Amino acid sequence: MDCRVLIGGLLLWSALALAGPVERPTPVADTGIGKAIYRTGHLPDGKPIRAQREPAMSISGSTAACMNCHKRSGLGAREGQTAIPPIAGIYLFHPRAGTVDNLDLPFVEGMKPDRDPYTEASLARAIREGIAADGKPLFYLMPHFALDDAQMTALVAYLRQLSPTQMPGVDNTTLHFATIVTPEADPAVKQGVLDVLTRFFDDKNHYTRSQGPRMQSSHRMMFKVNRHWQLHVWELSGSSSGWEAQLRARLAAQPVFAVIGSTGGSHWEPVHRFCEAAELPCLFPVIDAPVNDPNDFDNVYFSGGVRLEAALMAHDLLGRGALRAGTRIIQVYRAGDVGEEAAPALRHDLPATVHVVEQRMSAGTGKTGLHAALAEARPGDVLVLWLRSADLAELGPVPPGVRVVYLSARMGGLEDAPLPADWRALARMAYPFDLPDRRRVQVDYPLGWFRLRGIPVRAQQAQADAYLGCVILSDTLNHMVDTFVRDYLVERIEATLGHRVLTGYYPRLSLAPGQRFASKGGYLVHFSGLQGDRIVADTDWISP
Amino acid sequence: MRQLTVLALSWAILAGTAAHSSTAATAEDTTDPHAAHRQMAENRQLQRSVIAYKVPELQLVRDDGHTVSLEHELDDGRAVVLNFIYTACTTICPLSSQVFSVLQGKLGAERSKVHLVSISIDPEQDTPARLRAYARQFHAGAGWQHYTGTPHESIVAQQAFGAYRGDKMSHLPLTLLRPAGGGPWVRLDGFASADDLLAEIRGFDSLAASR
Repeated sequence: MDCRVLIGGLLLWSALALAGPVERPTPVADTGIGKAIYRTGHLPDGKPIRAQREPAMSISGSTAACMNCHKRSGLGAREGQTAIPPIAGIYLFHPRAGTVDNLDLPFVEGMKPDRDPYTEASLARAIREGIAADGKPLFYLMPHFALDDAQMTALVAYLRQLSPTQMPGVDNTTLHFATIVTPEADPAVKQGVLDVLTRFFDDKNHYTRSQGPRMQSSHRMMFKVNRHWQLHVWELSGSSSGWEAQLRARLAAQPVFAVIGSTGGSHWEPVHRFCEAAELPCLFPVIDAPVNDPNDFDNVYFSGGVRLEAALMAHDLLGRGALRAGTRIIQVYRAGDVGEEAAPALRHDLPATVHVVEQRMSAGTGKTGLHAALAEARPGDVLVLWLRSADLAELGPVPPGVRVVYLSARMGGLEDAPLPADWRALARMAYPFDLPDRRRVQVDYPLGWFRLRGIPVRAQQAQADAYLGCVILSDTLNHMVDTFVRDYLVERIEATLGHRVLTGYYPRLSLAPGQRFASKGGYLVHFSGLQGDRIVADTDWISP
Repeated sequence: MRQLTVLALSWAILAGTAAHSSTAATAEDTTDPHAAHRQMAENRQLQRSVIAYKVPELQLVRDDGHTVSLEHELDDGRAVVLNFIYTACTTICPLSSQVFSVLQGKLGAERSKVHLVSISIDPEQDTPARLRAYARQFHAGAGWQHYTGTPHESIVAQQAFGAYRGDKMSHLPLTLLRPAGGGPWVRLDGFASADDLLAEIRGFDSLAASR
């Protein structure tokens, strides 16, 4: 058993015991109400809660949700120079600890271990009137909330159970992680990414695991046990409708702290939804069509994938006036591939008056199917190719009169897309990455790492993303010291990603509440040079 | 060892925080009639300085979609109140924007003489449409515009006013004011209230009247 849990339990018990005669035992409260207040600023019936900082400055509903500042974990945050304190139960109710030797709580930045513990009554006063346990005013940022007794009881009960306890997937010796592989994952991407993940975990365990005693600051506080990192590969099977059940069974059989570097194809929604429902961080999957839902929390992606490419194309088509009256846009894609996700996105991003035609080819029709689809193009049409490199190599002659061709960098293989020469002269590629010359130093680092460890480069961009995801996970966990809380992991990544110097294929990475795509734009590029083997940006970095 | 350092350092920060709060005056320990107000100001960590910032030559995109020169936007004959925000921010920015909203109300008829300028520090996300929606949320009146641009332009704007902290998640509460027709900027670090801003604007007026 984790000693933290025991200590946490003792603290809770002693806080209640200390409160003695004035403190009645916590009534059984509905944490559903507390959770709704905390996370949404509303009561379960939809009624907003109200609060104010000064008479003229009242707030209500979602702008008054506790989570806005104290975060979903309840572990607080740093806002510039303002440390927003943790309000998960054990941080509020622990007895005063005078020195670091007595620090027996999981470390978070804004904790105040040298403060008198709150009682239920003093906590209610803090929430309603902004008075701290010691009688001093709380910081200005903390509003005064108008909560009735039942709402207060529910909120405090929620704060109590928010305390970090033994997290699934974490024990005294091991941190368990999973990577999810759906049957739609491209075999080269899957193998390349698994090579990187496996080797990263091996390295991690080789370099950081020491046989020595745990580091500790006192007889009570033990922190940063050199835990073994263990990767569980969750390979799914069958159709996407059965994946969620498979994932639930996998998680039940082997709890993990987070999911890292997963791979898959056009159906990602079931995996995304599973992680949201389980409140399990699903970090930086290497996929082409991520789910975009600003209300979601646990799924974090490097980029918007092919939907971002569609938005870049729409921006370009509208901006350069390529659409004359009667211009048709023909989107060519294969059934079962991510073009099925990208094509509707592009249609959606264009005005309803634009004539968009979709040429959906069956999966196994090869060159014949491709040429039949292209034969539909008439002079003046704009062609949009949501095609993989195997199809690009087989395009054949450009249909007569076609002057504008767009293609997907992610699907086609970036600058290595094997386009025939006459297509190459026309093609404009949506390119949601930094340009090759600018990212060279960034990408040389993982490439050198792969080379030194004999990892074959099968899918360079996917493998570089997998490596970067692992580095971000590792760096973030280092700074979390021993506070292994899933929500806190996501929150720390959200807060610190913008400071990263090494950002791989992307010019910069950053997140914020409601932002789950770390890189937010891209270029439109064309092929250049004598062999057409260089790419040149036609636009600035666009964030559509 | 690194973890020990982290912990020790954090302890120092905690100690610093504690020291800060212990300097705050409590309501009952003084007969000074302004004590309550001063304590409030202290609690808001307000710091005032006067600095002659040079406004850089810079193109930004206004919330109506027009590309404009920052210099022209600031030199249009009105006093300027400027802050940096991003629409995804859930902590400091909504508060700062609410202060601007209340300020517009308090300005009343003088509203047309003051230009409220909010520049996004998350320009990739904050498109003009997103900024307009944000402005509506805070009932922004005619004299309050929001601006975006490229990441580089936003950084240059922040740097020009000593407001760049390397990343939007590290931003600080800050308001900058300048009288109509130019002159040095009043820099208010911390959580300025609408009344603080109004007092600065009134100060500009009396300064102009005495000239």
